[in-house]
Amino acid sequence: MTVALFAPCFVDQFRASAAIAALRVLERLGVDVEVPSGAACCGQPPANAGFEDEGAPALERFVRTFRRYDTIIVLSGSCALHVRMHAAAFGDDGAGVAARTTEYCTYLHDVIGLDRLSSLGAERNARAAVHIGCHALRGLGLASPSELQEPRYDRVRAVLSTVRGLTFADLDRPDECCGFGGSFSVDEPAVSARMGLDRLADYGKGGAELLVSTDVSCLLHLDGLARRLGVSLPVMHVAELLAGEVSA
Amino acid sequence: MRARDEMLTAVRAAKPAALPRPDLAAVSRFARAENLVAVFAESARLAGASVLLTTRGGVDAFVDSASKPNERRVSMLDVDGVHHDATADDFANTDLFVCEGVIGVAETGAVWLPLSRLRHRAALFLATNVIIVLEQSRIVNNVHDAYAAIDVAEEECGVFVAGPSKTADIEQMLVIGAHGPKALTVLLVEG
Amino acid sequence: MIVDHASAAEKFNANPERVTWHDATLWYAREKRDRAAAEVPEWETLRELASAIKEHTLSHLDEYLVMFERAAIANGAIVHWARNADEHNAIVHGILHSAGARRLVKSKSMLTEECHLNPYLEARGIDVVDTDLGERIVQLRREPPSHIVAPAIHLKREDIAETFVEHLGTEPGVHDPLVLVGAARVHLRERFLAAQAGLTGVNFAIAETGGIVVCTNEGNADLGVAVPPIHIASMGIEKLVPGPAELAVFLRLLARSGTGQRATVYTTHVHRPVRGQHFHIVLVDNGRTTQLGRTDFWRSLKCIRCGACMNTCPVYRRSGGHAYGSTVPGPIGSVLTPGIDLQKYAALPFASTLCGSCTAVCPVKIDLDAQLYRWRQVVTKAGHTGRMKRTLASVGGKLLAHPTLLAGAGRVARVVSRIFPQTLTNRFAGAWTKHREAPEPSPQSFRAWYAANRRGKK
Repeated sequence: MTVALFAPCFVDQFRASAAIAALRVLERLGVDVEVPSGAACCGQPPANAGFEDEGAPALERFVRTFRRYDTIIVLSGSCALHVRMHAAAFGDDGAGVAARTTEYCTYLHDVIGLDRLSSLGAERNARAAVHIGCHALRGLGLASPSELQEPRYDRVRAVLSTVRGLTFADLDRPDECCGFGGSFSVDEPAVSARMGLDRLADYGKGGAELLVSTDVSCLLHLDGLARRLGVSLPVMHVAELLAGEVSA
Repeated sequence: MRARDEMLTAVRAAKPAALPRPDLAAVSRFARAENLVAVFAESARLAGASVLLTTRGGVDAFVDSASKPNERRVSMLDVDGVHHDATADDFANTDLFVCEGVIGVAETGAVWLPLSRLRHRAALFLATNVIIVLEQSRIVNNVHDAYAAIDVAEEECGVFVAGPSKTADIEQMLVIGAHGPKALTVLLVEG
Repeated sequence: MIVDHASAAEKFNANPERVTWHDATLWYAREKRDRAAAEVPEWETLRELASAIKEHTLSHLDEYLVMFERAAIANGAIVHWARNADEHNAIVHGILHSAGARRLVKSKSMLTEECHLNPYLEARGIDVVDTDLGERIVQLRREPPSHIVAPAIHLKREDIAETFVEHLGTEPGVHDPLVLVGAARVHLRERFLAAQAGLTGVNFAIAETGGIVVCTNEGNADLGVAVPPIHIASMGIEKLVPGPAELAVFLRLLARSGTGQRATVYTTHVHRPVRGQHFHIVLVDNGRTTQLGRTDFWRSLKCIRCGACMNTCPVYRRSGGHAYGSTVPGPIGSVLTPGIDLQKYAALPFASTLCGSCTAVCPVKIDLDAQLYRWRQVVTKAGHTGRMKRTLASVGGKLLAHPTLLAGAGRVARVVSRIFPQTLTNRFAGAWTKHREAPEPSPQSFRAWYAANRRGKK
């Protein structure tokens, strides 16, 4: 059973601490995990911007790099969804990689389980606002989205419930998009920023002391907005909380 | 005919591969309300209607109490069938219009009124105040049951009515009484 | 004119209080929808059924059109076929002209908006009065609707009061909705009683029985066809459902999804003309067949125009309907209109974060976010994308495929500045930092950290 961890390009460059934390958590849980070199990106950013063909070489490279692993853990809901949806374009290897690719929290919840996660002994006395990236939420089904009339579940909050002392901020709109949206953030800066500011206001109203998310991309956007406003709201990936890292 | 034939030819060429007509058997297994009268009343009230439970004998007294002697009242309760001689002008200044529904739908609080129950299709909309009499035994569970119980094509036209006319077109603020009636009462009679 | 959603949205956001209000008002509609859907235990089953019924009907659309036509003619209706907007408008005008009718009252019909029927008829001496309150408001202001269910949702009561002072003679400074609605009622009642013809849209057409169904809350569609001797019903060919049993499925979803009501106040069925009246049905294509033939996009024709995708769309709520420059705005508009004019509407598939909320609320399960993604590919391949984006994508694509380039070069900023022309990176960075601080690059990339701390231990 070989497990690979993939940290997308923007995590690698802008939030290496999240990837390091993710790796340490897996190692402490006894997972034999590798981080193969060879793939920097899954090709999602250009593809979502309408340049699927330009993104294809990156996805193909991703497939070639990860085809030998039984489980491919992606540290981003958005990237994991892209691989799951589009890797099958690259033959049997691609279809296999698509099927074996999972998002980080999903792996922790479904494969590791909450009991073993509790053994990490993570602790954080704080009230957290939880932001599940939209692709993680509605694309991968990490939690039940508010639109659907189905039994409620939330794998992210379940994972976070193993962090002692952590409470959750009550939000008016628990799963509204933060406004990042990849190229949308620079195509439509006014609406993108407004969406993010509205999320921050909701977190403020809920008394959030920190923001935790499945997706570093959303966090970079929200953190950039908060810092411009002069609002102090530490942002963390789920892995960083589990690893007990002190946030930046 | 050229437009028709061209459109049909184009549709034939464009349409996706045939997909089966879904089996609607599932609708018979949908949730059923225990107390149809209570659920109907709740739905109709949500839609802005007043709902009263009474007996057949109580209808006249209620209708009398609902309009002043100098007001114009049109009642369809003692009339059979469509009267083509009626014109919209006959109803233009009606204060109260009274008619009897064919069935009611618990799920929505709507009542089915085909043309024959209205005398003129404008009657229901021109009157300021409307009273609909409905036998409690004629309430069905949901919209599926409603369409199974009526023949939509039996008459020229027919309408499901749930509550008085309303609009929320100004700032999404609900205002009762848009173009049609400003008040609607459903008298649920026993029997 | 090419639609520039981003610029229009930026203008809309110049008034943050108005955005707050617009967002909250539409979100309220979404919340009402949630409560209405939660009441129905079989909600998700209904969505499945509705989707499957529409897909079945569209896959047999020619047969259902013929079935509908046959039944409608047998009912005494006069059925017309229009390949495009011009033919539709000419048919409507022809009916009015030959009857000598000059005063038309119209209930809400997005199809006639799409066909620009009003200016066509007005140019030919017909007095057209939109009778849905929201439609009447925007008609008096000479604006297009900004939402398909709530056409005047971009306006506040003060705006509407001003319009009514000018056109309806209401008192200046009076903007109580109750008073304004009352004034409109009196104003439109006169128009109804004087009308010589009434035109309605069609929510559903029943193939087996040849009837049409119109859903309204105000009662304006009924008044508009009950008084005058001519009823014209204009419908897109995708409005068909097989029979009354199928109709029931959609009626349970439509009002709940759109406004959170259990049903609209009036669900009106017209099968035959009443004595002395002429009942015309105009079947309109206007690009629908072309959309039907597109493998990736034909499912957009399942739309029942409930407006739920607009209410839930975080981008629509913060950019306003007019930013879309199309008859149908919001997510569904952004998958319908590029098929009509790709160059003009090239920006619309990008006016989304692909958050997928639209797909999840859609009562007929249109895969809206997936279709937006597919349209983006079509738009860029056709070359309707700015140079900045194209360069970023092609150079970026090469870069992203080669991790050694990234890893070897250290900080992204330095890599990017080496590969992209300075003007492009400045514009890109400018768009990011207009509202946000730039992210701080990590002191050491994860890749570098891993090489230093884990490589070789395995």
